[in-house]
Amino acid sequence: MAERVILMIGTKKGLLVAEAPKTRRSFALRGPFGAGVAVYAALIDTRGAPRFYASSCNPFFGMKVLRSTDLGKTFKDTKSAPAFPKKDGRALANIWSLAAGASKKELWCGVEPASLFQSSDGGDSWELVPGISNHPHARKWQPGNGGLCLHTILRDGERVHLGISTGGHYLSEDGGVRFAAANKGVGAGFQPDPFPEFGQCVHKIAGHEDAPGRLYMQNHGGWAKWDGPGGPRPDIGVLRSDDHGKSWRSIAKGLPSDFGFPIVVHPDDADTLYVLPLEPQTRTCPGAKPAVWRSEDGGGSWNRLARGLPKKDSFFTVQRDAMDIDELGSPALYFGTTTGQLWIGRDGGEEWECLFDSLPPIHCVKVAVV
Amino acid sequence: MLRDPVPRFDMARSKTVTIHVPAVLRDCCGGAAELALSASSLRAVLEELEQRYPALYRSICDETGTVRRHVGLFVNTSHVRDREGLDTALVPGDVVTILPAVSGG
Repeated sequence: MAERVILMIGTKKGLLVAEAPKTRRSFALRGPFGAGVAVYAALIDTRGAPRFYASSCNPFFGMKVLRSTDLGKTFKDTKSAPAFPKKDGRALANIWSLAAGASKKELWCGVEPASLFQSSDGGDSWELVPGISNHPHARKWQPGNGGLCLHTILRDGERVHLGISTGGHYLSEDGGVRFAAANKGVGAGFQPDPFPEFGQCVHKIAGHEDAPGRLYMQNHGGWAKWDGPGGPRPDIGVLRSDDHGKSWRSIAKGLPSDFGFPIVVHPDDADTLYVLPLEPQTRTCPGAKPAVWRSEDGGGSWNRLARGLPKKDSFFTVQRDAMDIDELGSPALYFGTTTGQLWIGRDGGEEWECLFDSLPPIHCVKVAVV
Repeated sequence: MLRDPVPRFDMARSKTVTIHVPAVLRDCCGGAAELALSASSLRAVLEELEQRYPALYRSICDETGTVRRHVGLFVNTSHVRDREGLDTALVPGDVVTILPAVSGG
């Protein structure tokens, strides 16, 4: 029986773990684990006995994967981290995503430069997934501001969706063997062709198991005023697909900005989703007034959720993996900021409270009820 | 002009070079602070480390075999970039020191 809410908070200075009873009245913090080393990806694998995983991206000595089997009280390195074959010529620069695979100990890991690895033993050994890592497009992808990263891995039976910045959305329909670019309707702002086959700067993709085929995407928006070749491309930033990602349409109307990083779906309602719009130039909240925006009709309309958040003078970014939602009856949202604040939005984001206000810059936040 | 100090002659080490491992990497080699290897160049040291202590090697070099950007390798007191890089010749008694480069933030 689930007894506690646990947050994994990946920061610039290591992994922090926050734990609360199911009331979520107060959270106790522990860590940092992998102290001093940035953590960009975390996973709470609740299949069977919970296992916690985090990347540990050491700029000096390379990458590690941390694993905990005691609910985040202690972490140990797995026996190895993903690594390119020696003759490949690429070297791992960062680990951006960790996802549970089909079988109990299967893990997937998205890295920079954009490539995918798979483990069948809980992270002790890793193999390159060639279908995407050696895709003919791979050497043509370009790094975005955050680097050339494979940051989203979504599995839906034999379908595997990947988000790559800047590569776009890639879809496999055979369990991850072969991948094809699937970006119809996904705009790109930084090249003359507004709708290229691939090369979009996808920021995050989310789905829901109750709505097969439906996906939501936070793409790199903010190009409505572009006056160069190809012309303006408004509302390319928040998108929806209803055909397993083969085509996409805008759902950005009503938002103050179509730029942002995270996109999160309500655990019990595939029509309810959350984004956190940012100014494209500053990558901070419009008007320096932070707000999460919620749609309850699959992106048809949006409502601003800001009760309890700062009303002015707030200049932070929320990164692509730094927002999550728990699975309790009235779920709470959580987001972490580049200024080191960890916020909880109770009642589905209706009421916000700062849980911790002086953490290191936050890269990722994952929550589970275990 | 500063010169590398002449390494102390030690019969027990006369055929080897010593690798000084920083504390942060000692888990990669069973907790050892120093490793004694027989090698005639820095490249040979790294090849030996790759065989005997792969986790330590991987912390020093990336998958392409390139020394990581923020890792400094010294032979006695000289940074190897000021000598012959990985081709720097070693003689028995030399000390190879692995150091994280200075950085802030």
